[in-house]
Parts: sequence; structure tokens; C-alpha cells
Amino acid sequence: MMPSRRGAIGAVVAAAAGAAAIGYGGWRLFGRHYAPTTYDDLLTQLPDRDMAMPIGRAFLATHANFTTTQAAAALRARLHNRDLAAVSISEIARGELSVAGGWMMPATLLGLCALAARMQNRV
Amino acid sequence: MSFVDARQIPEGTELTPDLAIVGGGPAGITLALALARTPIKMLLLESGGMDFDPATQKLYAGDETGVRYIPLDATRLRYLGGSTNHWGGWSRPLDALDFEKRDWLPYSGWPFPREELEPYFPRAQQLIEAGSFLYDKLAHGELPGALLPLGPGGMYTSFFQFSQWRGNKEHLPTAFGHRYADDLKRIPNLQLMLHANVTGVRLAQDVRWVDHLDIATLSGRKFKVKPRHIVVACGGIENARLLLASNDAIAAGIGNQNDLVGRFFADHAIPRDTATLVVFGGEIAPFYKTNLDARGAHFRATISPTERFRRGRQLTGALITVEQRVELDGLGRAAVDTTSAVLGTGAGSAHAYSLGVGLELTPDPDRRLTLTTARDALGMPRLKLNMTISDHDLARYRISLIELGRQLLAGKSGMLKLQRSERAEWLQVMDWGNHHMGTTRMHDDPKQGVVDANLQVHGLANLFIAGSSVFPTYGASNPTLNLVALTLRLAEHIRGLFR
Repeated sequence: MMPSRRGAIGAVVAAAAGAAAIGYGGWRLFGRHYAPTTYDDLLTQLPDRDMAMPIGRAFLATHANFTTTQAAAALRARLHNRDLAAVSISEIARGELSVAGGWMMPATLLGLCALAARMQNRV
Repeated sequence: MSFVDARQIPEGTELTPDLAIVGGGPAGITLALALARTPIKMLLLESGGMDFDPATQKLYAGDETGVRYIPLDATRLRYLGGSTNHWGGWSRPLDALDFEKRDWLPYSGWPFPREELEPYFPRAQQLIEAGSFLYDKLAHGELPGALLPLGPGGMYTSFFQFSQWRGNKEHLPTAFGHRYADDLKRIPNLQLMLHANVTGVRLAQDVRWVDHLDIATLSGRKFKVKPRHIVVACGGIENARLLLASNDAIAAGIGNQNDLVGRFFADHAIPRDTATLVVFGGEIAPFYKTNLDARGAHFRATISPTERFRRGRQLTGALITVEQRVELDGLGRAAVDTTSAVLGTGAGSAHAYSLGVGLELTPDPDRRLTLTTARDALGMPRLKLNMTISDHDLARYRISLIELGRQLLAGKSGMLKLQRSERAEWLQVMDWGNHHMGTTRMHDDPKQGVVDANLQVHGLANLFIAGSSVFPTYGASNPTLNLVALTLRLAEHIRGLFR
């Protein structure tokens, strides 16, 4: 069935609004939603929380002593007034890497992944 | 001169060459070629014929204990050309550090530095037919592709070159027997005898001189060779066997007064799929994955710890190679996408590869060959190998991998997954290089070595050993180029003895 003229115009308007929203950082309108946590200041540093969770789970599988509050405090100290990219680059230079499922990653990034996995477990 | 068949030599004959070369592998053939235009009357004794023969090969059978190793009659070949009849042609000179005594590496160090071998490398390179002698110089010229970008650190791209039998359309590595048969036949001062097995090295009464060699054929013929000088060049396993089995005058065997013959056996450990290398930008340059021709060399890249890194972290040699392309699983994809996003590179077209390695082992006196009560068809005692690999060696390699992973991240070019951690995991994927070394080690002190810096057996004026059995420390490089260079140096010494 052919779309009506009114329906076609509506679709174009909606698409334009979507594109504008994404362009102005409004991706949250269409992005994934997570239950609020007390660690959102940290978790928003991750490029993709869903992607981070399996890595975090692999890390937690070999780090039974991972304590959320302690880890979060350490991550806040490391990330204080700096973005994750900058912190990661200096960690790589200093060899501060951790391993999850064999994958070598900057320690803070992996800590955030573990935190994301732990928060997923709590929801 | 055409080759002689030992089975046609009359029983009880006594031959009296100036020099007997025992074994027609790369060392023995190199020695004969190097002494071709001298007045030295040479006799080269080869156990096998021109081609594989099961009955002769069976003389190599033995037992193994300890870590799983290749059966002793499958890890080498017993006919003219020796194990160059099945080698892969991988070549690389040892690093300067491999020759040094290192306090952190027990029993390490050669009696001379690498500079001592340098003059012999060009000719050795010609003999193995590996093209221009470039190796690490390949990194500094034009290549068909880019070097893997690594951040500053302890790992770098190095290069293997490959033996390639010139004129052979199948691009096989140089099999010394067939390749040099005609050259050997043209040497007027050489008699090359096939099917001649040396079953004993017999000492003079004062036990400071070899009087003669006992020769036997599988057809039952026996005779003697009474040379002025002898070079034993039967390979890294059989050299030790011949000395240990020649125990009529000295109960422990020739050169074994200090219980060193057969000890310190080494090979290169080659565990497979030790790590996954991911290149964020896509395909790695082809010379990491396969052998290519450029600038007069047939070559392939390897990733290796630098000398500085090895010193600083007390590492033995490791030559990492790209094995094959692999697919990332869900976790791998998540790790790659997350890490590359944080580094601001993206990895939409990332390629992943498994990494293998050739690992140097720490010298270990308990990794050794001993005689058993079983005997072969010629009545020679058979061997037993006790194979070991220490957790320390595996841990050292892991340090190199971790550094490589760090440098990939630092270069924003990729990342690494470590595949093995437990010993059982490593042993499950363990292969070996068939590079037999160390069993008649070289050292100036007779208490620490079987031969001296001139490869003369300590205490025996006319007996020399050639081949990688004399390597006291092994490096990660394949031994053939190096043992050929060392044999050329020995040839110069022997030439001096006859002046």
C-alpha cells in the first residue's frame, strides 16, 4: 500500500527531528536507559556500558575480592578532573594494565567495566 | 671423485686420512667445502646414503621421559645432508647478547663474543642460500607494507630470512646433501663414504689422543679409520651419543670426565596460539604473515624483545610470529571496540591473528641424554632424553607478550589477548623446533664445557666437535646459519693445524 501524503510528510519531519537531536547531543533521547546508580559519574565515562559489561564480568570472574565502594573510590581518584582517554594513555605508558578474559586493557577502563557489570547485577 | 660405498670396503681395512669428518650434515659438508683447496686429505663418513632409508633411520630410535618431545628417530634425518633434508630454511644470526655471560642466566655465555663469528656469516649465508645478509637491516629500507606501529618500549620488529635452494622451482630450502653433492665430488682431496657408521672413537693408550674410529655398515662390514684429526659432526643428539658410547678407555665416555656430555640438551620451545594480536586498522602487512621476496632476500617479520629490554627484565630470547587470522568472539569484539573507542581510534575493520613463538630455554643440566641398555642394529647403546621446560621460561615469554600488548596500546594500533597462563595450558600447545643444541657445550674451563673455544674436546689433542651441540647458550634464532658460520671458523683453525 502506498503511504499517504500526510504520512510521508510526518515521517520526514520525525527523521529530521531525530537527526537534529543526535547532532546536538540529544542521543540520550533515543539511547539506552539504565537505572540510576551512585556511580553514574564514573559509568558515563564508558563509551558503551552494554559493551563494557561482558568485559567487566570476565574481570570479576577472576577478581572475587572486587569491592564496589572501594573500586569506585579508587576510580574517582584516578579520574579526578581528567577524562578516561587521558588517564588510559598515561596508564599505558606506565604499564598499568589489567587483564580480563586474557585481554590486556588500561586498568581504569577495566575497573569501569567491572563496575558496569556489578551495577547491572544490582538492577 | 665419486662417492664411495662403505659396504664395498674390504673387511679389516685401515684408512689413514689426515682428517676424518664424522657426519654429512650441514656442519660436515660445510667443513669439507671449506677445506677443499687445501693439501688436507679428508674422509667424510656418512651413515646414510643419498636418500632416506628406514633401516638407517631406525638407528636413531630412543626413549623420552619428562615433557613430551618428538621421538628421537623423527626429530632428525640420517642421510647425506642430515636434517637439512627436512628443515624449513628459517635463518637468523644469534644476537650479541646470546654470547654474553649473564649473572641472571645460569650457565650462560660463549667463550667469545659475536664479533668472532661475524667474518663467517657472509659465507655461511651463501652456503645456506638465504640471499643478501640483511635481517634487521630490512626494517630500514623499502618494504611491501608498513611495520606494525608500536609505541616506545621493549619489543621490535625483527626479521628472519629463508634458505631457498637457488634454481629450485619449488622454492625448497637448501638440502645440503643433494645441493652440494656435485661440489663435493669435485673436491680432489676429499673421499666421501656413504653407509659408513662410526660405532666407536678409540683412544690411544695415554688417553690424550684418538687412535682410530671403528666403522660398521648395516650389511655387517667392519673396518677402521686412523686419521690425524677427527671432527665429529653428527648432530646435537648423536654427537653426545658417540662420545658416551665410546667408553672403553674412559668409563664415563670420551670428553665426559666432568659429567657434561649429553647434559644441557636444548631445543626451541614453539608453543602455538600463545596470544591473539588485534590490529585496529585492519590487515597487518603481508610480511608478518608469510614469506616475501624483496631486496634480494626471502624474508618474514618476527617480533622480538630488544637487547635492552632483555637485559633490564632478565629475559631469554623469543621470536614471535604471526600464525594465522582468527575471528574475535563476543568478548573479544567488546574489548576491542571499547578500548579503541577510548583511545579514539575505532576498530571497525580490525583484524585478529594468533601468535606463535620460538623460545630459548634456560640451560638445564637435567635436560639430558643418557645411554640405555637397549642397543641398535650396530650394537650401539640407544639414548634416552629427559626433556624439561621450566615455568620460569614460560613466565619470561609472558613478560615479552605483556610488553607487546602495552606497546600496541601505546601506538594506538592494536591490542593483545594472552591465551595461556597455566603450565598445563602451555604444554598442551607445545611444539619443538627440532634444533638440538648444548650436549657437548663449549667453555674454556673443562669443568664447565666439553670443548674449548676452538671446538677441541678438552684433553684430547686431535678430536673436535662441530654443530650446535657446542652451543653453551642458545638464543632464539634457528641454529643452522650459526652452526655453519661456527664450522667455517673451525675450518680455519684446522687449516692452521696442517700448516
